[in-house]
Amino acid sequence: MKVDIRELGQFNHLASQGAQRAARSLSQLTGVQMDVEVTDVSLVTENVLAETFTGQSFVGVELGLEGGLEGETVLAFERERALKLQDLLLEATGSSDELAQSSVTELGNIMIGGFIDGWANHLGKAINMTPPKYTEAVGPRILPDQAIEAAKNHGVFLFESKLEAMDVDLDFSIYMLPEYRQFVDLLSGTDSGNQIPVNRLSAFEDLAKEGAGNAAGQIGMMTGLDTDVDISRLRFVPLEGVPRQVGDDRFVGVVFELKGMPSGYLVVLFDEQSAKTVASSMMPGGSSEEEGIGTMTEGAIKELGNIMTSGFIDGWANVLGTSIEHTPPNFVHDMGSAIMSPVVGKLGKQQDYAFVIDSTIEIDGHQGRCDIYALPNERELARALSALPAQT
Amino acid sequence: MKRLETEDTTVTRRKIGIAEYAVVTDETALVTSGLGSCLGIVLFDSRNTVSGLIHVMLPSVDQARDSNPAKFVDTGLPLLIDEMEAAGADVDRLQAWIVGGSEMLNFESSTESIGSRNIAMAEQLLDDHGIPLVDADIGGGHGRSIRFDPAAEAVTIRTADDSSRTI
Repeated sequence: MKVDIRELGQFNHLASQGAQRAARSLSQLTGVQMDVEVTDVSLVTENVLAETFTGQSFVGVELGLEGGLEGETVLAFERERALKLQDLLLEATGSSDELAQSSVTELGNIMIGGFIDGWANHLGKAINMTPPKYTEAVGPRILPDQAIEAAKNHGVFLFESKLEAMDVDLDFSIYMLPEYRQFVDLLSGTDSGNQIPVNRLSAFEDLAKEGAGNAAGQIGMMTGLDTDVDISRLRFVPLEGVPRQVGDDRFVGVVFELKGMPSGYLVVLFDEQSAKTVASSMMPGGSSEEEGIGTMTEGAIKELGNIMTSGFIDGWANVLGTSIEHTPPNFVHDMGSAIMSPVVGKLGKQQDYAFVIDSTIEIDGHQGRCDIYALPNERELARALSALPAQT
Repeated sequence: MKRLETEDTTVTRRKIGIAEYAVVTDETALVTSGLGSCLGIVLFDSRNTVSGLIHVMLPSVDQARDSNPAKFVDTGLPLLIDEMEAAGADVDRLQAWIVGGSEMLNFESSTESIGSRNIAMAEQLLDDHGIPLVDADIGGGHGRSIRFDPAAEAVTIRTADDSSRTI
């Protein structure tokens, strides 16, 4: 079973357009201006689902899909945002609480309808929706049981579109989880395309997780602080979605160019406070006199970034049987989105989408965090993964 | 995670992402963030109150296989001009601002940076179309976020250290 990268891109595009239609319907119904932040798709395991949804309390609207595309769609709001939405709907319609709750369900119906509109066209087959179901749950249970079961067995493709309101805190996500076997068939494309055997996608995800574990271990060793890999995911995203995903907050970090098979970029970002904490811990005596982010922090972050990056990519080279080297670190201290812009610019000459390995490391409990983004050249990654012996 | 805009929120804003553009015919402010090597190009016809903003990533479509014209200076700028004309703008009255094109990273393997090539392409194309440049805030090594206010006919630029200037 192989996945054609172009097909994956095509489906991502459909999901992204669908999310825009859904956003427009919500804007019309509530008067709140909505934007689609980003749409990504990843093949996720049960563990990743648990990490992604853990601890949050959700209100959702769930709809099943049948026909040309089988699977489940869920519109998931964190609880307080769902309440906010109910208020907005109340204001807009002047109805009662109960009606507001049913209008959330109706809204879900309209939005998901918009979301899958383009899919039936693309597939040339009708897609039927089962009636919407209002659900409340904590953690990954907000997703349908079948999807969680599938994640246990072979992983499940998870499409996520993040929607964001302009002046209100009404951010939420639309998830789509197509039925695994039918969807893999749809992704198989033609033999001439850039194909990755589907089981190696998950193998690569494991590898990424191991890389993040190594990098976290390096931070621990250099700083003496406790570290833990919080989340690690292999996402497939339109290139222009990457800077949005990183956001406009200010980060301190390092960017490396990777050379070899695959080539690409690796970006390590700390929020300012975490950078200072980590840099201080690396100083003799564990403290620093430096105000703000200066040359001392820069030196420490560069040194740490170097070691983390080596740890991160070592595993790839081993498993892929290739050699990968990295450039000296480029120090950055700026808006996250601006830091990513030349990275996606450079990749954008060869590709429209990127496999982004996105790992979050927690430092010293919840005190600090570090994000690692690896963006390998898509075709080279496909080639390297395809060249692996069959049993992996 | 996302920083909220601190500016006046009574004016409607339209947010434009990378490889996106927008054209408005009222006083809606046009905003885009995370301009690193990317370039933000603002076009404005004050007589007919037509404003446009595009956030392009690369200088030329030749370098890529992509089909989204809003990703490139050489296809994005003509697209923006066309859309503005369709919205009632007079090409002869357009004026421009360009912001961004900085050199965020410095790799041995790269020759001229994407940022400087984006700037050069935009300046050349604006010149070809006879569109005067009102002002520019370009180059350097830092990121920028911008907001164009049609009512003020001005572009406000904010950097990561929270300093801002208006051109």
